[in-house]
Amino acid sequence: MPTSLFQLSRKKFMRAPQLEAKLAIKILMGFVVLYFGGSLLFAGIAVYPILSDLLPERDAISVINSVLVLIFILELIIRYFLQQLPVTEIKSFLLLSIPKKRIIRNVLFRSLLSVYNAIPVLFYLPISISMFQDDYALGQVIAWWVAVTAFSLCLNFISFLANKNNKALAGFVILIILLYLSESYMDFETLRAVGYFFDALIMQPLWVLVPLGIFVLLYQITFSFLKKNLNLEGALAAKKEVANAGRYDFLDVFGSHAFFLKNDLRLIVRNVRPKNIVLMSFLFLFYGLFFFTQDNQPESLLVFASIFISGGFLLTYGNYVPAWDSEYYAFLMTQNLSYKKYLDSKWRLMTFAVIVSTVLSLPYLYFGVKTYLMILSGAAFNIGLGTWITLYGGLLNKQPLKLNVKAKAFENTQAFSGKMMLMIFPKMVLPVLLYIIPATLFNPTAGYITLAASGVLGIVFKNQILTQMVKLFAKQKHEMLQAFTQK
Amino acid sequence: MITVNSLTKSYGEITVLNIDQLEIPKGQCFGLVGNNGAGKTTFFSLLLDLIKTSTGEIISNDIAVAQSEEWKSFTSAFIDDSFLIGYLTPEEYFYFVGELRGIDKAAVDLFLETYVDFFNDEILNQKKYLRDFSKGNQKKVGLIATFIGSPKVVILDEPFANLDPTTQIRLKQLIKAETEKRELTLLISSHDLNHVTDVCNRIVLLERGAVIMDKETTAKTLQELEDYFSA
Repeated sequence: MPTSLFQLSRKKFMRAPQLEAKLAIKILMGFVVLYFGGSLLFAGIAVYPILSDLLPERDAISVINSVLVLIFILELIIRYFLQQLPVTEIKSFLLLSIPKKRIIRNVLFRSLLSVYNAIPVLFYLPISISMFQDDYALGQVIAWWVAVTAFSLCLNFISFLANKNNKALAGFVILIILLYLSESYMDFETLRAVGYFFDALIMQPLWVLVPLGIFVLLYQITFSFLKKNLNLEGALAAKKEVANAGRYDFLDVFGSHAFFLKNDLRLIVRNVRPKNIVLMSFLFLFYGLFFFTQDNQPESLLVFASIFISGGFLLTYGNYVPAWDSEYYAFLMTQNLSYKKYLDSKWRLMTFAVIVSTVLSLPYLYFGVKTYLMILSGAAFNIGLGTWITLYGGLLNKQPLKLNVKAKAFENTQAFSGKMMLMIFPKMVLPVLLYIIPATLFNPTAGYITLAASGVLGIVFKNQILTQMVKLFAKQKHEMLQAFTQK
Repeated sequence: MITVNSLTKSYGEITVLNIDQLEIPKGQCFGLVGNNGAGKTTFFSLLLDLIKTSTGEIISNDIAVAQSEEWKSFTSAFIDDSFLIGYLTPEEYFYFVGELRGIDKAAVDLFLETYVDFFNDEILNQKKYLRDFSKGNQKKVGLIATFIGSPKVVILDEPFANLDPTTQIRLKQLIKAETEKRELTLLISSHDLNHVTDVCNRIVLLERGAVIMDKETTAKTLQELEDYFSA
């Protein structure tokens, strides 16, 4: 095993700025992993006996087989959005006498060490054991487990490819949509075929060679993809990117802050990472559809949805707010730009985004005026308090961001991560509390009024809050500068 | 203009800068020389409040830089390429700096016209983002941007490094012209003894954080520095 490359990864972690904070996050993540891992294990143990009891006329494993494809798709989506991929600084390795193959194998192997690959052990292994107790032959049980494990690990590589390569991503998405359409509208049994395949596999364990073959094939594809990208992509080739001349004059309504907002807009439009993340925040607009289309949803969940609809930008882009400027932070800190004006312009940027989202969410009027009033009260909270909470979190985040990542294949280009979800969590608790307490004491309307009023209060006391933020900002300045200059 | 009082900067046990007393009068072109690790960039970073002082203080135009942010209104600097915004075109960058210093677009355009020679047709109207320019051309942009809005104090860390010979010579002419035009306090660090003795009227030599030599530039200064560094 290429141990020296592992040592480098370890050193990178141990010597990173803000080691304590990172450790704390790791430990917190550890608990989250334990919780989900435990739930998964429990589900794996329970699902087989329960199915046997509920549907005695059918084979439990056959029922599981028939829904496996859905589990795989769900797993793929979760992996795509949340699984962190290993990052390697290739630049310094390229000239050393380390075979390229070894670097790539190291990256791929590290991707297999991810906690997400514990799913086969936690979920599928207990099912296999139940199968064995249910008088299936050892060969059948092993073949079944190896096959699902191979598929699960295939998903590891598929999410790897989809994360690194937009064409691959588009390909996989189209494939899944086509399979779904052919299944539901054209009467082909494409998705169900996966279930039939696993049924057949139990009859004839030799079929296990197929998933193993796919696994090896995907490994090879990922390997050759990385090999092709194992150079300083584009760094030596001539640049053809032509600057776009967007002037964004419509922002002039913001007066003396306009030029700063224009700059933030340019940052978003012209850099790979912020662009992806902002596109992602549009998806939050549709979040409400999950909740408002169903009857009898608890109101506290609807509050949750309302906050998400107008706050997508805060939750995705906002979280990293000063860090987006990390590449030229020293410049900003020496320019004729007071901390107050800087923070104020960031607040305006986020407020602007919330207002845009709220306007874009007008179609929710379809679900009734009450629904839209909920969204409006959520938006008021987001403008008055959500923005400040986000900014506060952002000031504590001292991870520099590379805006326009060139060597994509080996760097972290993901817009979202499990850690970020953790950072979002406290932001979601407060509004729900603001709603629930008055709503249970009086009535739901009181809840919405409190939520909206908290936002209005935030706007009224904006200057006081801003002054406090400036103090925090000035205190953090040197530490941030130091962290942002670390590569 | 700038007064330094018993300034030290240490990281743990190691003191990287220790300047007891230093006075830089208005309008002086102040040259800082010294080998790597002498503390030149540390000194400039302290001047710009980019790092915290361990002891002592720096007063710039009656303002303690670590206490108030007022110094930002009359100071500008170019330390390294983190002073550029990669996703802007040079024009947008100049306008951005101009806006921050209260100079409108038309005035910036007028300002840029005087530097057409310095840019040598490689900077303006290129329809390229700064991140796609070569190191040397990026530096040209950063250097010129420091002069927008006629700041009273300009700090340039190694302005000659990475520039082609023609531009180095033009930069020297430009610095001389700027310092003659108005009362500009200019702080330069450089490894190029030739250039720095040519443009600066005072040279301070740092070694391991301490001032070893502090002299008005004369015809002999270059020779003295060369003797020192070859010893």
